[in-house]
Amino acid sequence: MLYAGVDVGSRTIKVVVIDEGLGQLIASGICDQGVRQAALAHDLFKQVLGQAGLGREDVSRVIATGYGRSAVEWADAAVTEITCQAYGVIAQVPNARTIIDIGGQDSKVIRLDERGLVYDFVMNDRCAAGTGRFLEIVAVRLETGLKDLGAMAEKAACPSIISSMCAVFAETEIVGLLAAEEAPANLAAGVQHSVARRIVAMLAGRVNGPVVFTGGVALIPGMARALSDALDRNVIIAEAPQMTAARGAALIACGQARRTAGASAEVGKFLEAVQ
Amino acid sequence: MAGCCGTKDQVVARAQDGGPLEHFAGQVQNCLAYARLRKSQGAPVVGIMCEFTPRELIMAAGGVPVCLCGGSAEMVEPAERVLPANLCPLIKSTFGYSLEKANPFLEMASLVVAETTCDGKKKMYELLGQRHPMYVLELPQKSRDADAFEHWVAELRKLRKELEARFAVEITDEKLKEAVVVMNRDRRLKRELAGLMQSACPPLTGRELLGMRSLIAGLPQDHEQYSKAAAWLAGREIKPAAGKRVRVLLTGVPLPHGAERVLGLIEDNGGLVVCQESCSGEKPVLEDIDIDAPDLLRALAAKYFHLPCSVMTPNDRRLERLEALAGEYRAECVIEVVWRTCLTYDIEAQAVKALAEDKLRMPYLKIETDYSPSDNARLSLRVQSLFETVKGRQGCNHG
Ligand code: SF4
Ligand code: SF4
Repeated sequence: MLYAGVDVGSRTIKVVVIDEGLGQLIASGICDQGVRQAALAHDLFKQVLGQAGLGREDVSRVIATGYGRSAVEWADAAVTEITCQAYGVIAQVPNARTIIDIGGQDSKVIRLDERGLVYDFVMNDRCAAGTGRFLEIVAVRLETGLKDLGAMAEKAACPSIISSMCAVFAETEIVGLLAAEEAPANLAAGVQHSVARRIVAMLAGRVNGPVVFTGGVALIPGMARALSDALDRNVIIAEAPQMTAARGAALIACGQARRTAGASAEVGKFLEAVQ
Repeated sequence: MAGCCGTKDQVVARAQDGGPLEHFAGQVQNCLAYARLRKSQGAPVVGIMCEFTPRELIMAAGGVPVCLCGGSAEMVEPAERVLPANLCPLIKSTFGYSLEKANPFLEMASLVVAETTCDGKKKMYELLGQRHPMYVLELPQKSRDADAFEHWVAELRKLRKELEARFAVEITDEKLKEAVVVMNRDRRLKRELAGLMQSACPPLTGRELLGMRSLIAGLPQDHEQYSKAAAWLAGREIKPAAGKRVRVLLTGVPLPHGAERVLGLIEDNGGLVVCQESCSGEKPVLEDIDIDAPDLLRALAAKYFHLPCSVMTPNDRRLERLEALAGEYRAECVIEVVWRTCLTYDIEAQAVKALAEDKLRMPYLKIETDYSPSDNARLSLRVQSLFETVKGRQGCNHG
């Protein structure tokens, strides 16, 4: 039997289909978010299944997550992205203790206990600073793409200090620095450090390792290093970092966590309780 | 249908009497009618802003104490024309009511009594004092110091004189005692009502319980309803059933009338707020006044000085209470509400989080918000996630 997770995020929608036995990935897909959110999620789901030569009847349970989770009426249940993220990560890094998730429009820090269960979490969903959106704004200002921001930052001789706590004012600050002929590479690196500092502030000094980095921003070269510098500890980039919450949702749908690689017995019981 | 007689009788009884929930749904109108009547009989209406104000002294002076804390989001915007936007919504809303002349109780008040609690309130009172007759008590804030308490006693003695002079009455010990009797009864009845939530299947929701209070404490008709409430609510079932919900100990700032949104949100997302520790819940009713004390005013002062508000330092009494309440009400998690920019509760949240996680061993969530509903979805996510954690941990512990 197959199980699916659908993560309806603020910027993108992700679908993951896994196999019951080993929690193995069967198919996955991602698309941009739009106006018709529920319909887009459904289209993506059908498309992912179609490409894998599967039909809806092959999937026995679907869990929706992400901020649009309740709009997915055809899902069997909705679980928050905090819980899904935790599970998606634990399946990859069983002893993970801290998750840093930086998405398109929010960022969160989730701490896990020794059993791999959520201990607590802090979210920034009120302000663009410290999120992917901020990096995007800056990339536009520096006339480059989000993907190239990292390569640019690597050339920095001396990362600029960007101290504004708000994305709008930080942008103004960057415009000022550009006018003062600051090297774009220094600005690119400075912005990455600024995002990293915001995240470290959210952790309020209580970081346990291993630290796993998820969310679309984890794909930008240099971000993990900026985080690792700011935290002064190693940061592991999750495999397919954008998909971890969807994967977690699929694993919860499957509810057979004990058999998935690395998951503790506690997590298995946890999943059963959550359902 | 002979077997149904008992039920039928009960239903008939309820039909004649709308019951306490219905009674309190009309509390603002009831209070307004009461205040107008008393004022027409010559009694001064006295506004209060905080649970440190000893209602008994005002009552003993023949006055009617009315809570004026603003809970309306609509009053925030007008207040921001004068006050900084970066201020607690409770302070802004209260002041907005004055600017808009929208609170009939404030408009009919002969005096407003308040105290130096947080800085925002204290300085707002200066502005309010330009618009209404105002008397501010100085609240000493070192909770453990004997001389701080002596100062508080002195402040209450001054208030007694002020009320006597202003309203040309004498506050005799006899009158004070009468007021204390009424308020002790008020507190006892409220404690008993709240105590219903200790049950495994409480007969009402936290939202309903929060609705069972009036802007004027100690009203005879309210006391009648409180004393009938337990019997009236017996056997009542809430939906979704209590067993399916997560039991929440709610703490933090008070939720004034009109600002109950967060509580509703917690219960709409699968929670049941079994205990409300804040000033809109149990905090002010946990301690009574010793009616037989040789110096009643000192006894009165002691009760109020013991109020575990975050403006006091240190405020360990709050943590002790929380620990006891968590046990009595069988809470499964702690949710703390902090009005945005409320520094004292926000900082003290550290200690509450540590208590919940390290000592009570239960998940803790701090909700920082204001009166605007714009963050409903964001808050729902946090609450749902907390409840998933509670259930997940139970799965582990029981499994
Ligand atoms: S929380 Fe403190 S300041 Fe606010 S009403 Fe209660 S006692 Fe007064
Ligand atoms: S909630 Fe905090 S800031 Fe607001 S009035 Fe009460 S103590 Fe002051």
